Amino acid sequence: MAQRFLILEDGSAYPGIGFGAGATTTGEIVFNTSMLGYQEIITNQIYHNQLIVFSQPIVGSIGIAHDGYESILPTTKGVVVRDVTAISKNRQRSLSLDKFLKQHNIPGISGIDTRHLIRKLQQTGTIKGSIVDVADDHAFDQLHATVLTNQQVAQVATPRPYPNPNQGYNVVVIDFGLKHGILRQLSKRDCNVTVLPWQATAQDIINLDPDGVILSTGPGSPLDLPQSVLEMIQTIQQRMPLFAIGLGHELFALANGSEVSPLKLAHHGANHPIRKIITNEIIYAMEGQEFVVNPDSVNRDRLITTYVDLIDGSIQGLRHRDYPAFSVQFFPDGAPGPNDSVDLFDEFMEIMGTRE
Amino acid sequence: MAKVVVDAMAMQRALTRITYEIIEHNKGIDGLVILGIKTRGIYLAERIANRLKQLENATVPVGELDVTKYRDDIEHDSTENDPKVTVSKIDFPITDKKVILVDDVLYTGRTIRAAMSAIMDLGRPQQINLAVLVDRGHRELPIRADFVGKNIPSSQHERIKVSVSEIDGQDSVEIIDR
Repeated sequence: MAQRFLILEDGSAYPGIGFGAGATTTGEIVFNTSMLGYQEIITNQIYHNQLIVFSQPIVGSIGIAHDGYESILPTTKGVVVRDVTAISKNRQRSLSLDKFLKQHNIPGISGIDTRHLIRKLQQTGTIKGSIVDVADDHAFDQLHATVLTNQQVAQVATPRPYPNPNQGYNVVVIDFGLKHGILRQLSKRDCNVTVLPWQATAQDIINLDPDGVILSTGPGSPLDLPQSVLEMIQTIQQRMPLFAIGLGHELFALANGSEVSPLKLAHHGANHPIRKIITNEIIYAMEGQEFVVNPDSVNRDRLITTYVDLIDGSIQGLRHRDYPAFSVQFFPDGAPGPNDSVDLFDEFMEIMGTRE
Repeated sequence: MAKVVVDAMAMQRALTRITYEIIEHNKGIDGLVILGIKTRGIYLAERIANRLKQLENATVPVGELDVTKYRDDIEHDSTENDPKVTVSKIDFPITDKKVILVDDVLYTGRTIRAAMSAIMDLGRPQQINLAVLVDRGHRELPIRADFVGKNIPSSQHERIKVSVSEIDGQDSVEIIDR
């Protein structure tokens, strides 16, 4: 295992030990505070073009399992950890984290003082970083010169439709870079799913005559997607039940006249308490967001706020006043993370059921 | 033999969905009043009102409706089985209001017809909507619910038992074979 460096846009360099692939990569650096679920996090396409720092000090201890994939081909740019371990006796393990990262050409770096790094990132916000072999001027020049794409959705979402056949409700999932957890939850509920590319028009969806539509999670900024996506949402929400998650939630808010802006400090973790307003319950869920709906911009005549984060008060859920359309910023599918809100999928089934 | 068909989580969810549907259907909560039919309808009515208050930060009046003396299927003049007639508790005007009538089970429709008669004796609402936790079918009158928690097609030999935590110690809907 060779010495490698994590270098940041602000000029700092952290020496560490390389694992996984030996590639040199550059991306935005984000930190995740979840204590579990590194495989699901690494394979979640919301981390496209990003390097993930884990605050959990030991990563890799349960290997990689068949049921932990949130995408087929992860496009994360790097994994930054305090300690990586290959020791695992998990019965579900199929390979080690190290080998998995090698297969997907993703570099990892261990031996990093992640507490120090995360404190720094709390001050700087999201900045660029690189995993490199030598932390010289050339490496920093390269880092500064790298321009990251804002077309993340187009990079990771499916370019063509595909089915996931079953016998239950007909559900169309619009793929903005979806995590498999959404399909898994629909599968558990016997839904007959068609996944459509993110450019699908309202007419494409209506032609399939679905019982309901899900707008998936995905990477990047909702503000970088074209107006046509918002027009699709405006039409569809009047026609059939709609459930939007993550990036889908941000788009749902935009489509209904709200503003979305970048968070100063991104939420990546499973330890945010969230208040479910209607019943005043506290739930926990995995959050992975860099953008947030601006509360002052929410048109109260059109939308109801349904969930709020108790740490920073950010909006975590919305519902349309006139249509059976609702959204959550957090990930209710529990992959990884708490299952407190997994029954949002049951709620969606029941809403579809009332319209038969 | 009893079979649980709606558990506590599903009951909460059904009431949550009904609450949102009430907002959707009425374009808000202006002029809304909720009347629960005793006994369990009252608790369900209060839960819906609590949810509306959480969401809209405004109180919707809740009344209790006793329909016993309006029932056409109970012998009123028999002294042995004299039904306990209590008084409805509605301390607000209902004329020109949008009434949401709440009951636990919709079956023959006779309770709802009686409830509507009771309401009409109290005033002239702008509209009456019906919300029920369970619709089990077997209607004997032309009545349908606007908001249904769960449709449970049932046999007339079965009994549908709704429990609410306020008085029964748990939230559930069970089908019991008689």
